[in-house]
Amino acid sequence: MSQPDELEAFRARAREWLLANVPARPSFKLPQTFLEVEAREQLEWLRDWQRRLYDAGYLGFDVPEEYGGRGVDRERRRVVTEELVRARAPFLVNFIGLEWAGPTILTFGTEAQKRRMLPPLLRGDELWCQGFSEPAAGSDLASLQTRAVRQADGTYRVTGHKVWTTVAHFASWMILLARTDPAANKYAGISYFLFPMDATGVTVEPLLKMTGEGGFNQVLFDDAPSPADSLLGEEGQGWTIAMTTLTFERGAAETHARERAAALLAQLGRVVELAREREREGAPALADPVLADRIAQLWIECAAIGLSMARTRAPALNAERPFALPLMNKLVSSEWNQRLAELATELLGADAALWLDDPRAPHGGDWTRGYMNSFGMTIGGGTSEILRNVIGERVLGLPKGK
Amino acid sequence: MTALDLLALPDVGEEFSFSDEHELTRASARRFLAERCPTSEVRRLMDDPVGHDASTWRSMAELGWLGTTVPQPLGGAALDPLHLALLFEEQGRALLPSPFLACQLALSALELAATPEQAARWIPPILSGEQIATLAFEEPSGASRGAADTRAVPARGGWVLVGVRPHVLGAASAGLVIVPATEPDGGVGLFAVELPHPCVLVEAERSVDTTRRAARLVLEGASVPAAARLERSSRAVVERVEARGRTLLAAEMAGGIAAVLERTRAYACEREQFGRPIGAFQAVKHPIVDTMVSAELARSLALGAAVAWSREPARHDTLSRMAKAYASDAFAVAVRRGVQLHGGYGFTWDCDIQLWFKRAVASRALLGDALHHRRWLAAALGGA
Ligand SMILES: Cc1cc2nc3c(=O)[nH]c(=O)nc-3n(C[C@H](O)[C@H](O)[C@H](O)COP(=O)(O)OP(=O)(O)OC[C@H]3O[C@@H](n4cnc5c(N)ncnc54)[C@H](O)[C@@H]3O)c2cc1C
Repeated sequence: MSQPDELEAFRARAREWLLANVPARPSFKLPQTFLEVEAREQLEWLRDWQRRLYDAGYLGFDVPEEYGGRGVDRERRRVVTEELVRARAPFLVNFIGLEWAGPTILTFGTEAQKRRMLPPLLRGDELWCQGFSEPAAGSDLASLQTRAVRQADGTYRVTGHKVWTTVAHFASWMILLARTDPAANKYAGISYFLFPMDATGVTVEPLLKMTGEGGFNQVLFDDAPSPADSLLGEEGQGWTIAMTTLTFERGAAETHARERAAALLAQLGRVVELAREREREGAPALADPVLADRIAQLWIECAAIGLSMARTRAPALNAERPFALPLMNKLVSSEWNQRLAELATELLGADAALWLDDPRAPHGGDWTRGYMNSFGMTIGGGTSEILRNVIGERVLGLPKGK
Repeated sequence: MTALDLLALPDVGEEFSFSDEHELTRASARRFLAERCPTSEVRRLMDDPVGHDASTWRSMAELGWLGTTVPQPLGGAALDPLHLALLFEEQGRALLPSPFLACQLALSALELAATPEQAARWIPPILSGEQIATLAFEEPSGASRGAADTRAVPARGGWVLVGVRPHVLGAASAGLVIVPATEPDGGVGLFAVELPHPCVLVEAERSVDTTRRAARLVLEGASVPAAARLERSSRAVVERVEARGRTLLAAEMAGGIAAVLERTRAYACEREQFGRPIGAFQAVKHPIVDTMVSAELARSLALGAAVAWSREPARHDTLSRMAKAYASDAFAVAVRRGVQLHGGYGFTWDCDIQLWFKRAVASRALLGDALHHRRWLAAALGGA
């Protein structure tokens, strides 16, 4: 744990470094989040940024040094994230690696897996994707059918079909859920693999989003080999490990709460600026009392979400329902974000219809694109409806539906 | 100021500034109220002429609840406001009928605006529970907030007060009411009026929420001595008192939402239709989850405002408005769902949800409703 003065000095260094090093926007269009990276030039530009951030010593504050990290230091991690938001720095392209796969490997990996996987993950040299969802197993993830069959030599052969696999087209590795024991019950038969994407028998086919962007794929496995040491944890432990990954994915891990609040506030700030800058009926949109009222409501909710994130750090304040705040985090943040994004498009009036390739599209059409992309977060990682089921049953103890 | 600085959250400290002592406060309040104020007691007091239980009130005084945040020289415990907010959350959960909020508003006004002599005269009897005090903070309906209607005119070495103040909490049992009034120079004075007073008519209101009594004060040229004017009165003081009141009321309402959630949840587990508990149906389950989400958010805002009250005073006003605005709407939605999800039973006098329903109706606009505060917040952002 850093001392306050040291932390402030660190913040000052980070701020200065970012000022000098945050790259100017490239000539091509960048994706808005890690979910929409489609072209190689986008990838390389973003990867270069992650490498520079890592090499300068600002990445890896939740990973011990022996695995390529900077040693676990939550405060420094928070400071870096706050400064990244402040500097409007590009996002980190290996998000799935950094936020979901990495922490899971750190929790369940063998020493050899941690040493092998984590350093290139942190630096962005090797990207990670997540192969959980299948055509017939979305919300009902545990009904997944992809098979991994153990061979005499201890290696596995994988056959099946994954879908909506973000960034699979650039990934070196996949966190893969596959069924190793079809006779066991739906949960117990699943295992968790660190699967090499360059294996033979793997086909990655891009899918097009409603925005016309790529970024996710379907991945077909035809008897694809996976080495013996690609198994994470034990055979049959896959469901438990997957739930840990989902905990990270849903932002239910307490560690990063405060920095996420900074990101929400930054989004709200941009919409407030937009409302000051855009005119409606000859006056700034913010002067419209109806719009102003809706912005004020979103501000209140943003503060409520931010304070709730801060409250997750006070276990004694959450003793009655310890899982309420962690489990509602993604639900409220993603739905709030969607309403904010929708409001932004309304602020634009009829110009909201101008799309990315129209030179008159406000801010290059990003607001409308952002509204559409906001559905990635209300659907991916467990839909809002599924999260309401989970909260209702696990937190409130309401009976399961049949 | 950039939008981002303006929007920044208050620093609530490590672990939300919540310590073992806070937990002790919360847990002992929960126990005390479970014993002294089950809903049968709430219902008994609804028909009581005074509207609160004298011995419970005395116990609250003995436990030091009334002087929680009052400075020690004045006989208080000088604890931080998070303690007080936790007490309000618990009494809102229990729906305790009492003049607790009324007294805290009066105490805030005295603490912030009274001279030491004035404070020494009026505060101790409030803390001991002998004297019920209140603040006449609401304007007649339609008027804008902030001492518009009641006037104070200097006369015969003192003052004469003229005006009408509705919804004065606890006024019928109060011996002291603090009245904000507009002075000839346009400023606001806070006047300590001792009751009964020959020229102050106290008309009990017949509220839908009989768990919290209120009255309409008619000040028909009520003379008070010069010493009744709290010397450090100002518009800014009135605003700070209101911010504190909003914080406490928001905490109380957050407690109310939690109580409604708990009852609705329990009923959904127990009531069966179509061969299963109704809570298994998503059309029942999901709205209950949404109530839980709003209960948690309301709690974060109210407790966050309480922390800001002492730790980040510059942000307290804003936070208290957010907390009150959010709680007002969320409580209204929670009781609406609560009644609906109890079915025909929910519509009866017997079903306890109605008690919180009425509290939600009566509290919604006290100290400003959600629309009022959102308008203020929007203006702070530079909007309409
Ligand atoms: C942008 C994006 C990126 C993604 N990236 C990845 C990735 O990298 N890796 C990966 O593995 N997956 C990824 N996903 C997949 C995502 O996890 C699934 O889409 C999600 O779990 C929902 O599954 P589904 O699409 O099959 O929808 P379905 O499960 O078919 O759901 C359809 C609708 O029915 C509702 N529904 C389903 N069951 C219930 C129920 N029991 N109660 C109430 N409502 C219900 C859902 O809420 C939804 O509204 C991504 C998705 C998106 C949108």
